[in-house]
Amino acid sequence: MIDFEEELSRFKPSLEIEVVEDAIVNSDLTDMTDIMMELIKERKE
Amino acid sequence: MDYIEKCRRIANSYYNQGLEKAGIRDLTGAAECLKKSLHFYKYQTDARNLLGLIYYEIGETAQALVQWVISTNLQPEKNRAVHYLHEIQGKPGRLEAESANIRKYNQALFQAQNGSEDLAILQLSRVVEYNPHFIKAHLVLALLYMSREDFTKAGKSLYKVLQIDKNHPKALWYMSIVKANTGRAEIERRKLKNAFSHRQMQDDDIILPPTYRETTGWLTILNILAGLVLGAAVIFFLVMPASREELNARHNQELIRVMDQLSQRDLDITELEDQLAAAQEELGQAQQDLQNIGGVHAGELGQYQILVQILSALRGQDVGTAAVLYTDWDPSQITAENMQGTIAQIQEELNAAGGPALQQMGDAARDAGNADQALDYYERSLRINGDNPQVLYDMALLRQARGEEEQADKLFGQVILNYPNTELAEAARTARGY
Repeated sequence: MIDFEEELSRFKPSLEIEVVEDAIVNSDLTDMTDIMMELIKERKE
Repeated sequence: MDYIEKCRRIANSYYNQGLEKAGIRDLTGAAECLKKSLHFYKYQTDARNLLGLIYYEIGETAQALVQWVISTNLQPEKNRAVHYLHEIQGKPGRLEAESANIRKYNQALFQAQNGSEDLAILQLSRVVEYNPHFIKAHLVLALLYMSREDFTKAGKSLYKVLQIDKNHPKALWYMSIVKANTGRAEIERRKLKNAFSHRQMQDDDIILPPTYRETTGWLTILNILAGLVLGAAVIFFLVMPASREELNARHNQELIRVMDQLSQRDLDITELEDQLAAAQEELGQAQQDLQNIGGVHAGELGQYQILVQILSALRGQDVGTAAVLYTDWDPSQITAENMQGTIAQIQEELNAAGGPALQQMGDAARDAGNADQALDYYERSLRINGDNPQVLYDMALLRQARGEEEQADKLFGQVILNYPNTELAEAARTARGY
């Protein structure tokens, strides 16, 4: 059976539209390609 | 192949997987694949746009906007995300309404986490009513219903979630609990068992066909008759009792209603009878009172009335009428002091003139052949003035003429005895015969 309180606490508030801009700004867009490029760059140096 | 190209290919592969899963509405699985795709290559625009679309589909509009805005920033040209953003922002008020709905969900979640479950349920019901695809709201609502052991409502919410996202892990887990509590799990298990429990047919298995008999004309008629009998039996044993019962119930209701009305009428009648008895009693009392009052005053009042009539007749010089009234009058009942003078005056006048007037009226009635009237006037005349032998003689003659010999002899005797040496006495003797 579910532990109601525990299960309920796992739900997080949904992202509100007013804070979309902040979310975009704070988004970490680093991808594997960036990491690889960084590694290659470091190796070359 | 360089590493960057490899990353692109891996990203592309994950995107394909995500697309496939999205196609079969495994949105959770699709989102995972698309996120992985973007981890390998952030310029995989299709993956990002599809991820935004999935977020939008499950009610996470803000998350969708984040992905589409990033997508348009990374690829401003020929990007489907521009169209999506235009669609959402193009309709006035839509974004505001979406925003308000998300805020409501967050409030409801806060209420639920702080013990106000009733309020949370109300709020979440409104949220999913506005956006039926808001998966998170459905899940919290289902969880709240489950906590109240209202598994039917919880099941409805979870069913909607699983229609949107077929493999949503949390929804599947909740649904398994709901099914276990509603007995649905057992039913499904049995169905599944039946579906796969049939033995595969072997080559030597024989399917026996149902027996076939050619129907003849008589058989058809018999079948029809049997059907009719069966139908009649069904009507008699099933339909008739039900309709009879319904009819009886209706009659009983009607009877109860009529009995109620009768009871009410009886009550009304009893009440009216009571009122009538009371009214009759009051009437009797009133009549008794009236009689008492009349008894006391009727005599006196009547004498006053006669007095007024006598005065009126005298004023009109009608002594005869006044004399008739005078003979019926009893002035002793009038006790008022101020009336005694008037009474004396009338008595004086009519004692003198009343007798002759009545005698004349009697003579006139006798001459007119009205013996009864004449006798009445003569008697009244004698009541005023008894010393009048002519009246006695005339009365005796009238009685004699009517065959009333005894009374006539009596009157003739009075004339003879009281006025012995008069012509009338002699005439009386002659008339009497001795």
